[in-house]
Amino acid sequence: MIETPRSRDILKAHHRREALKTLLVHGALILACGVCVYPLLRILAVSLRPGDRIISTDLAIIPQGATWISYIRVFGETNFLFWLWNSLVITVATSVVGVALASTAAYAFSRFRFPGQKLGLSFLLGTQMLPAGMLILPLFLMIMRLKLMNTYLGMVIAYSVSSLPFSIWILKGYYDTIPRSLEEAALVDGTSVFGAFYRIVLPLSTPALAIAFLFNFTQAWNEYLVARVILTDSFKYTWTLGLFDLQGQYLTQWGMFAAASLLVTMPVMAVFLYSSKWLLTGMTLGGVKG
Amino acid sequence: MASVTFKSITKRFGGNEVLHDVSLRIADKEFLVLVGPSGCGKSTLLRMLAGLEETSEGEIHIGEKLVNHLPPRGREIAMVFQDYALYPHMTVEENMSFGLRLKGIAPDEVDRRVLRAAAILQIEPLLKRTPRQLSGGQRQRVAIGRAIVREPKVFLFDEPLSNLDAKLREEMRIEIAKLHQKLATTIIYVTHDQVEAMTLATRIAVVNGGRIQQVGTPTEVFGRPENMFVAGFIGSPTMNFIEGELQLADGGLRFKTEGVDVPVLGGTGGEPAGPAVLGVRPEAIAIERGEARDGAVPAEIEVIELLGYRKNVHVKVAGVKALASVGAAFGGEPGERVGLRFDPAGVHLFEKATGRRIR
Repeated sequence: MIETPRSRDILKAHHRREALKTLLVHGALILACGVCVYPLLRILAVSLRPGDRIISTDLAIIPQGATWISYIRVFGETNFLFWLWNSLVITVATSVVGVALASTAAYAFSRFRFPGQKLGLSFLLGTQMLPAGMLILPLFLMIMRLKLMNTYLGMVIAYSVSSLPFSIWILKGYYDTIPRSLEEAALVDGTSVFGAFYRIVLPLSTPALAIAFLFNFTQAWNEYLVARVILTDSFKYTWTLGLFDLQGQYLTQWGMFAAASLLVTMPVMAVFLYSSKWLLTGMTLGGVKG
Repeated sequence: MASVTFKSITKRFGGNEVLHDVSLRIADKEFLVLVGPSGCGKSTLLRMLAGLEETSEGEIHIGEKLVNHLPPRGREIAMVFQDYALYPHMTVEENMSFGLRLKGIAPDEVDRRVLRAAAILQIEPLLKRTPRQLSGGQRQRVAIGRAIVREPKVFLFDEPLSNLDAKLREEMRIEIAKLHQKLATTIIYVTHDQVEAMTLATRIAVVNGGRIQQVGTPTEVFGRPENMFVAGFIGSPTMNFIEGELQLADGGLRFKTEGVDVPVLGGTGGEPAGPAVLGVRPEAIAIERGEARDGAVPAEIEVIELLGYRKNVHVKVAGVKALASVGAAFGGEPGERVGLRFDPAGVHLFEKATGRRIR
């Protein structure tokens, strides 16, 4: 292309517009990050405050006389490690069971035609519209009749079934994007139908499986209401119940509360960071049929 | 190696019958091409043979064995899919050896077969790559390699070249023909491309509307089409059709319509006089410049397309459009009046009502 003074002006104006657009987009993103991160920084500040400055209007992130005492007291004066262990066992078991159930159920919805298929999918979606509080009583009755109160199994069942519909939808959407010819090739190569699912479809679905696992993990890790109803033994408490116990009628240990709050985010953060590459690919691949 | 027999095959999807009472026998080591337009049922027939679709009625035999009830893995077939269907999470080597490993074949034997197939298809340098690192042609070779290593009784190809560009398609066509010579195995090949059918097949089965229209060697199907569908589908450019009347005149049979009066060679007098369709291949038409004389059929040139070594001359004859394929030296111009002469060997007659061949 021959560059003339006029075309140079057009190009300059185009570059200016692009630079302005980039600036605006980045500005908005930085603002959004600030809004998300600032509350966490405030909690960090509270957790580091010495006991006599807990109720203070100081906005410094690292407060004057910053101390780890709240963290030490969380481990020394509470059953924090028990709560963490209970949460971890229940959450990991829920995620594994939830993903195992959802992956096979979603495959059936994606690949087979059977009576009630569409109705079933709509029903699953419908269950997600119900407020969690509505399910508390039926869940309580079910777990009590199964004699699973105060047990890990009771919690895993309660959490798995409530996360299942979302996981099924995510995985079904992803399976739909995998060409059937791959499974047909596997069948011709010598696998059974389950073999084709296990050897071909599952390995190709790691992004969607990672999303389903993360969803189950975060749901179970952060859940409070169901745990409050099913767990009454303080040694079986999950961290959400334990943390709530730090709130007294007349006195709340805000320093310990803040320190424990930050500590419990770490496992979820670790899982998120570890699987972030799967998560990003999964969101793109699962959402686009191609 | 084995023969394949379809006996009175019917296939229904819900209430929709897509294959109607299809019977066909494919001999051992034969290269049979199922050719027809999209949706004619040819791929369904192949998929039923592979065990990927249930058979509604009828029997399928591979060799002497009835296979209707067997899953794909019990049929000793290998299939090359239209979209290659390579496992994206496996390397080329793993893709090719997948079926063998499932069968529990010894690793040494697996390696031997994979390397042999890779050598035949010249894909040895690609063995450690994943499918996404391959071009379309390379993927196609790997898909064929995956089929070869299994040493099946029957190879099935489901439109394997339709995703390739024209040049690559031509190259792969030659590769597949060579492969058939080298492996001497029964091959059933589905395509909608009649050029592939003509160049690859030892026999062609032309399918339309869920029925086999004609089965024969490429020469038979091209030279003696049994109905207007086959005549129009096989051959490129396609056959010209002119409607008219068959009449007995001067002791012989003649085809007549507006401005057209051509003798029909070989007429015995037994052919029914009456409405008929004359089919003539573009290559069987010679064009004489100037007004038609001495029995030539009058026509007018509409468009001329230069193809390099040939010219496609679109003409209007007896009120219908027709195409003549002539040498590149032809010097006519659009709008020019010309006379057409039909090579009697390239002329076909069909019943107007049924489309069936008259002679």
